[in-house]
Amino acid sequence: MSKGYARGSVDKTLFIRKHERHVILVQVYVDDIIFGSNNDSMCNEFVAAMQGEFKMSMMGEITYFLGLQVKQLKQGTFISQSKYYFNLLKKFELENCKEVVTPTTTNYLMDLDEVGQQVDSTKHKGLTGSLLDLITSRPTIQFSVCLYARFQSNLKESHYKDAKGILKYLKGTINVGLWYPSNSKITLSGFSNFDYASCKLDRKIISGTCHLLGSSLISWNRKKASLYGTLHS
Amino acid sequence: MKLGKVPLYCDNTSAISLTKNPIQHSKTKHIEIRHHFIRDHVRKGDCEIKFVKTKNQLADLFTKPLVRDRFNKLRKKLNILDLKNVI
Repeated sequence: MSKGYARGSVDKTLFIRKHERHVILVQVYVDDIIFGSNNDSMCNEFVAAMQGEFKMSMMGEITYFLGLQVKQLKQGTFISQSKYYFNLLKKFELENCKEVVTPTTTNYLMDLDEVGQQVDSTKHKGLTGSLLDLITSRPTIQFSVCLYARFQSNLKESHYKDAKGILKYLKGTINVGLWYPSNSKITLSGFSNFDYASCKLDRKIISGTCHLLGSSLISWNRKKASLYGTLHS
Repeated sequence: MKLGKVPLYCDNTSAISLTKNPIQHSKTKHIEIRHHFIRDHVRKGDCEIKFVKTKNQLADLFTKPLVRDRFNKLRKKLNILDLKNVI
């Protein structure tokens, strides 16, 4: 802070310092730090300051951060989680499973399945957690994972089968991730959508939004709303 | 950095009209004041609501399960790609 860094207004762990036309962005997560700048000397200055103050090592160009694999190319940046996913497949012994093309079928049936057999929930709560983590680089599974996550308190065999469906979908698209081309325009646009009474269990509304910077996805959200008054929010 | 009016795409024309013209009738009387948030921002010029055909509605991916072709089409439009198609 004393070196002229300003704290981000939304993300409190983002620090920004501007100097003429140069800018350095520093993102801190507990004891991991990533930073980027359009000026090399600002980077070097930051590294020197950090190493002087704390016992830290410089890892060089970012390739792996909090489970995200980052590939920086001339044409852009690619973010994926294939290693994380491989480990997940091994854990659930699904390495040789068949692949499917979409995470959830359109005629999906999800209910409480009160007569179904209960499954050991500890292991499968772990699966939900892992799948939620995977959404970071795979927004396409968001809908399916949230659908499955709703039954955590009383998980039955049929729900577990659906979760395996998501894993099978991921297996077919293992190297898919978010792509941010370097030549994209800086224009923000948003999309908003509702699906009336689509939740088969309680007929609540499901809303979804996503924001694109240039042509790449930067934020997304999916929510089950309870009021139809929230329709035009 | 100035972003100007941020376009927000929606495929529901009546929802769009409501953001432009705050009419009240029996169908909309249950909408609470706090949900007129977006209308405020439209008035201030922070964003503008635009119409998009349902087939180009990218947020569909987050609200319902889709068939294969549409699923993959939307996925590509959101720049969620396979590494080998990128390089």
